Amino acid sequence: MKNFSYYRPKTAEQAVALLDDKWGTTELLAGGTDLLDLQKEYIAQPDKVITLRDVGINQLRLDGLDKKPDDFILGAGMTLAEIAAHRGLKDAFPALTTAAGDIGGPQIRNMGTLGGNLCQRNRCWYFRDEHTPCLLKGGDKCFAIDGENRYHAIFTQGHKCVMVNPSTLAPVLIALGASAEVMGPKGKRTVKLADFFHAPSSASEREHVLKPNELVLSVTIPYHHLKNASYEVRHKQSYDWPLVQAAVAFKYEDNKATDVRIVLGHVAPTPHVAEAAAKALEGKEVTEATASAAGEAAAQGAMPLSQNAYKVKLVAVAVKRALLTAAGHKKYWEV
Amino acid sequence: MATSWPKKRRLIGSKLQRLDGPVKATGKAKYSYDINRPGMLHAVLLRCPHAHAKIKSLDSGEAEKMPGVKAIHAIKKIGDELYWAGEEILGLAADTEEHALDAVRAVKIEYDVLPHIVKEEDALKEDGKTVSPFGGKRNNVLAAKDAADDAFEKGRTDAAVTVEGSYGVPVVCHQCLESHGLVAEWGEDGGLTVWASTQAVWGTADELAREFSGKYKIDLPASKVKCITHYMGGGFGSKFGPDIQGIVAAELARAAKAPVKLMLDRASEIVAGGNRPSAYGKVKIGATKDGKLTSYEVDCYGTPGVGVTDTVTFNALPYVYPIPYKRKHVRIRTNAAMQRAMRAPNHPQNCTLTEFILDDLAAKLGMDPLQLRLKNLPQNNPEKVKTAPHSLDALKNTIYQREIEIAAALAKWKEKWHPPGKTDGVVKHGIGMALHTWGGQASPQRNECTVTIHADGSVVARTSTQDLGTGQRTVTALITAEILGLEPGQITLQFGESTFGASTGSGGSTTIPSQAPATLRAATAARDDLLAKIAPRLHSEPKELIVERGKIRNTAQNKTWDWKAACAELAKQEATGAGFWTYDESTKPDNKDVSSSGVGGVQIAEVLVDTETGVVRCTRIVAVQDCGMVVNRLTCESQVAGGVIMGLNYALFEERIMDRATGRMVNPDMEFYKLGGIEDMPQIVVHLHDMPERGVIGVGEPPVISTHAAIGNAIFNAIGARVSHTPFTPERVLAALAAKGGAK
Repeated sequence: MKNFSYYRPKTAEQAVALLDDKWGTTELLAGGTDLLDLQKEYIAQPDKVITLRDVGINQLRLDGLDKKPDDFILGAGMTLAEIAAHRGLKDAFPALTTAAGDIGGPQIRNMGTLGGNLCQRNRCWYFRDEHTPCLLKGGDKCFAIDGENRYHAIFTQGHKCVMVNPSTLAPVLIALGASAEVMGPKGKRTVKLADFFHAPSSASEREHVLKPNELVLSVTIPYHHLKNASYEVRHKQSYDWPLVQAAVAFKYEDNKATDVRIVLGHVAPTPHVAEAAAKALEGKEVTEATASAAGEAAAQGAMPLSQNAYKVKLVAVAVKRALLTAAGHKKYWEV
Repeated sequence: MATSWPKKRRLIGSKLQRLDGPVKATGKAKYSYDINRPGMLHAVLLRCPHAHAKIKSLDSGEAEKMPGVKAIHAIKKIGDELYWAGEEILGLAADTEEHALDAVRAVKIEYDVLPHIVKEEDALKEDGKTVSPFGGKRNNVLAAKDAADDAFEKGRTDAAVTVEGSYGVPVVCHQCLESHGLVAEWGEDGGLTVWASTQAVWGTADELAREFSGKYKIDLPASKVKCITHYMGGGFGSKFGPDIQGIVAAELARAAKAPVKLMLDRASEIVAGGNRPSAYGKVKIGATKDGKLTSYEVDCYGTPGVGVTDTVTFNALPYVYPIPYKRKHVRIRTNAAMQRAMRAPNHPQNCTLTEFILDDLAAKLGMDPLQLRLKNLPQNNPEKVKTAPHSLDALKNTIYQREIEIAAALAKWKEKWHPPGKTDGVVKHGIGMALHTWGGQASPQRNECTVTIHADGSVVARTSTQDLGTGQRTVTALITAEILGLEPGQITLQFGESTFGASTGSGGSTTIPSQAPATLRAATAARDDLLAKIAPRLHSEPKELIVERGKIRNTAQNKTWDWKAACAELAKQEATGAGFWTYDESTKPDNKDVSSSGVGGVQIAEVLVDTETGVVRCTRIVAVQDCGMVVNRLTCESQVAGGVIMGLNYALFEERIMDRATGRMVNPDMEFYKLGGIEDMPQIVVHLHDMPERGVIGVGEPPVISTHAAIGNAIFNAIGARVSHTPFTPERVLAALAAKGGAK
């Protein structure tokens, strides 16, 4: 691991002031479950590491509930374990607590944070190999496109790098209409989670739209009484990444789904909003038939790589199961 | 003198918790990784990132000047050719591991990158001749071995029904939880001590002594080289001898005049720490209408990496069942680390190439696959029944029949089995079985044990053998305690140091059948020595004295002494006994049925297959295993359960994935080299099929062999489609369903 200077600022402003305006030289440290690995593997080699542990962004702001009863404001430093176990969140956003509770293992969830989950680097095995000069490390090609790509993107349209965004909270938060409060040198700004992610194709880009000298303070989830759920298809039940994930949210009144949002995870370099799927369900009752049809619609347009066509099928199933779960149907797949 | 197990056994065969459980669970047990010596340096290895290259230039000048660097040891030199990504080039020691890792990256090295082949199918398509010379040639594809049974042609003609299929298992890695490595320290006396993670304590010291005395012409007698392995975190066949990192650590320690720790990191452990060769084969099987197997034909290949060994046990194809055969095997050398022995080497591969097609055939015949197996079991060899009634050959049919019966009952086979694919619902239940066999005899080389009884009643059992996590330590104490009438906790163990006498590497399931009899002999001899020495002071004849639980009894006078009181009569002496065992000892008529060889084994797996996602969950495995006389029932069952867990991982998760373009493994980690966690584990039901009359047989390896085949057959039973290659991933299950036309 390259030597670095370690900073422990007391405020977000101080943290921002320490950040460089280009990627690579400074890194923010939250739970460290990603950054430390990257440093040990010589993938990240920052000169400065700035810990966020003292900047006071670790809380779920319940007081916000009084002032703005429609919003839940989650400090970016909340751990995944805290999110997964929070009763209020569980009642309002089971999609979020389920997704948070399924990430990694207990050690990861106890250390990993909300902000870190959104800003983590991708898990592509070429990106993570010190010796492979992939696009995101300044190389001139994506090795996955013609290489080992069983876990890579199936919505590959126009993407030079075909990794998948690794965040499982992101699809949920997008479906729930959440936004992030971000601080930079010029103060705070709000970024909708739907606009937060980016498909990088060079070493000077990240998986999100934040500038190198910005940090996430909090995530606000509006409480619109949406039915919501997240479903992951996983190879292993313990400690694995999803092969695909579907997050869904919709209003459900008089057995009619409206304001439907369906967002897929682990299928594209960014969370993938499945508009056709949402449209397919809009105004309909959630049944096995309508959920299946939405699932099929979600898989439309996929352009899988040489080894991952199976993920297209899984998208349809994950969407169907997420919708049925959100609508409170019996989980026919659990025996 | 004849050796035999006591007729009445108090401890042998009971369930004894492992004596080192508490120290392991609390972290007090010091593994090689935990050893830190004063002034110790940390070493890392520079590895070649290319799958095939020649070193054009190599300059470690910059690296030498890096902070903390104390020594560099070159393994390869300019002009040397490297044949796999991960091959070791040099070792470097620095004051901290971080400094070493930084410094090794400062070594300037240029390569002529040469063509490589890392996938078996690529070599078959075109032999690129990318590997090291073997027999003067660089061919990737070696000449085929083939053989046929005289009865094969007739068998093929006799077949009323034939089935063909292609099946395969990929290269998997040993993935030892404790990586390979050691701490090496040269002493003031010129001797060398290593704390090594090894399956061969004595052999490691022996090899190091030879290596360094030969190389440096120094006086390094074996007596001055010591290997210490008190606790060990798994080897599975990949940790014999000092290995390259052992040699390099000792070289660096010698150069830097300081102790050196060199433990592989996870990526190196996976890439270079050992792998099991692949096996892929086309199989054709023939049978009569009523299910009598008439012919078996296999054409298979696999890669031992840059090695040259077979990837199946050629002479044992078909596996377990005697069928007229025709077989062919091709070794494909690829630019990847050489295979190493892995828990029952090549038997899982043979099991794959035999057990899957049996169920495919049973389906075609409309038969219950259990009945098909019963019908085709090997017979008891009548000759052996007379000459060696306790040998596997004499008992094969009897053992398998009985084990199948037991397993079927435990698994409720009759209730749960259904014709393949004949269940409703999206998530389908399936049940399947497979058989295996293994040896497990005493080692041909010497294993020793000594037992000393002190005047204060304390007892020391001493042996250099290793406990890889198998429970051997507990077994040594258990047997000593049995013979001396004590409790296992009363035995002090001096264990896992090469100076404690000869022992052999733990391979071939030979440890317990070698060590248990050696301990029996040592404890018996110590007991007899004790009785002889104290008899005069107890006014007894030695032959009147016997050991009872915690007591010495004079049978003639009907008088007893408490153990401690009796031992006190040793006064200023000790009572000692030494014992040894070898395979040859085990075959002497006098020593009949002390240790033996040859086991069967039956496993039945149940799965739930989600036919929409292709995700397989294994819910229950019944493992019935014979191993002769069970010494410690608890650790023996634990060995079987561990084998089943490993086999489940072969079935569902494990695969070394090589990248065609870079020639490197893309999943050298525990993230995408998948290993099941607690939620992926089934209920495991272990049944030890006791046959104490056969003596002790090693059981470390057999339980790993057939688990994946049982799971594969259970999946076939669930969905009525064959998923023919491990690991049984969602992708492959969906593909099999789609091919069958049943995918939803």
